[in-house]
Amino acid sequence: MQGMIQFDQVTKRYPGGNEALKNLSFTIDTGEMVFLAGHSGAGKSTLLKLVAGIERATSGGVIVSGQNLSKLRNSQIPYVRQHIGMVFQDHKLLFDRSVFDNVMLPLDIIGFDRRDAARRVRAALDKVGLLSKEKTMPIRLSGGEQQRLCIARAVVHRPSLLLADEPSANLDRAYALDIMELFKSFHQVGVTVVISAHDETLMEDYGRRIIRLKEGQFAA
Amino acid sequence: MKHFFYLNWQSARHALAKILRQPFGSLLTLLMLSIALALPLSLYLTVSSIQEWAGRLTATPQITLFMEQSAEEADLAAVSSTLTKHPRIQSYSFVGKKQALSDLEKRNGLAGLSDGLTDNPLPDAFVVTPKTLEPHELEMLQKELSGLPMVETAQFDARWAKRLYGMVEMGKQLTWFLGAALGIALVLVTYNAVRMQILARRDEIEVAKLIGAPDSFIRRPFMYHAMWQGLLAGLAAWGLTSWLVLTANPAIHDFAQLYNERVDLRGLTPPELLIVLAISAVLAMLGARLAADHHLRQIQPR
Repeated sequence: MQGMIQFDQVTKRYPGGNEALKNLSFTIDTGEMVFLAGHSGAGKSTLLKLVAGIERATSGGVIVSGQNLSKLRNSQIPYVRQHIGMVFQDHKLLFDRSVFDNVMLPLDIIGFDRRDAARRVRAALDKVGLLSKEKTMPIRLSGGEQQRLCIARAVVHRPSLLLADEPSANLDRAYALDIMELFKSFHQVGVTVVISAHDETLMEDYGRRIIRLKEGQFAA
Repeated sequence: MKHFFYLNWQSARHALAKILRQPFGSLLTLLMLSIALALPLSLYLTVSSIQEWAGRLTATPQITLFMEQSAEEADLAAVSSTLTKHPRIQSYSFVGKKQALSDLEKRNGLAGLSDGLTDNPLPDAFVVTPKTLEPHELEMLQKELSGLPMVETAQFDARWAKRLYGMVEMGKQLTWFLGAALGIALVLVTYNAVRMQILARRDEIEVAKLIGAPDSFIRRPFMYHAMWQGLLAGLAAWGLTSWLVLTANPAIHDFAQLYNERVDLRGLTPPELLIVLAISAVLAMLGARLAADHHLRQIQPR
């Protein structure tokens, strides 16, 4: 069986010469839950951006669910992203619309029937415990709630791959554990989950594979 | 496919609702667009009204052939048979020198004028009604007829109609030029308006791209916004020109009355209105498309 994510001798050099990833090869299996560890600047974010097609590899192959992203045209990248859920450290919520409409956006993009979509949005909000706030504007949510809203938006279209870049970075430990439990529950229903964090104490409790990066390479 | 139409219908509705919700936000753009449309439209209506009137006026231009004094019966017969056979001549009538003199006496109350004259100084004449109305052809015909044997001159009585025709032609050219220039202006105005909108919604576009929105999805609301703006501007331009026609017509009537003429400035006909609406919507969408293609590429998530 092919892996969900396959890196084949991937190097990423940013303009200016900074090498974020150096000749990296690894595979993440379908249905696996993997942690990415390392200090900031170790290449965690770059790795996730390559998987989501936000950045392109300077050399090497990035294969996501069987598609070689380096060979896709820019116009094809959006359709790859439609199968990926992304959780961002800074949430990237839209503050001009309600909690409900924020979660609706991915379904609008892939073109979901409007009534089924509303049911799915409520299910996703229920999952992250925000159903009672569907009409609230995101600006009035706490940091932890905003992160959970971001997660609801990432999973509402039931992606097969979930990427989370430092999802618990700005949260206290109790909130962070909450969010880890959420990711675990998605993993349990078959979603491939990749979570990056610089704080390893949270990961070790889960007994999952941890990919440790240092200066763009695997840490010893 | 059903979804595709649904999405488009949704976008169209949202875009219109947005314009109606913030009428003042779009008012300035709308005003610019409608003036850009109203200018060439007014000129077009003026020119076509004048043309209509001029068409009625020059419906019977005539060329008068004056024969030489020494022309004889045989010459007259030759000219008359040429005129009969000529393909571009509708009809003609002959005014002999005797009849011309008696007409003159009657008309001007100069009874007894001929008594004082030893010879009739008036020439024989043919009054020719050509088939064509087109000034260039009329001129050709006039030249041709003046070359007939024993014809002294061929006089074209409606020289001024030619001038009018020339001015109408110039007006048409001007309409085209103005229409093209302001059409480009219309594209540029919507380009700029959509550019501003895209830049104002930068964050939203970036997020939409991050979660997999293709360019067509992001572009759609802007395209529909431009379409509505184009249609509304077309309607507004129609309103402006109708107002112009209504207010200008009494003055034009009075003026034309001085020359015993009736000139009407006409408004847009329904098919013309539809064409104007279609053109303005298409031009506005063209501007939006150009702006979207250019600026959406620049907004990439990081």
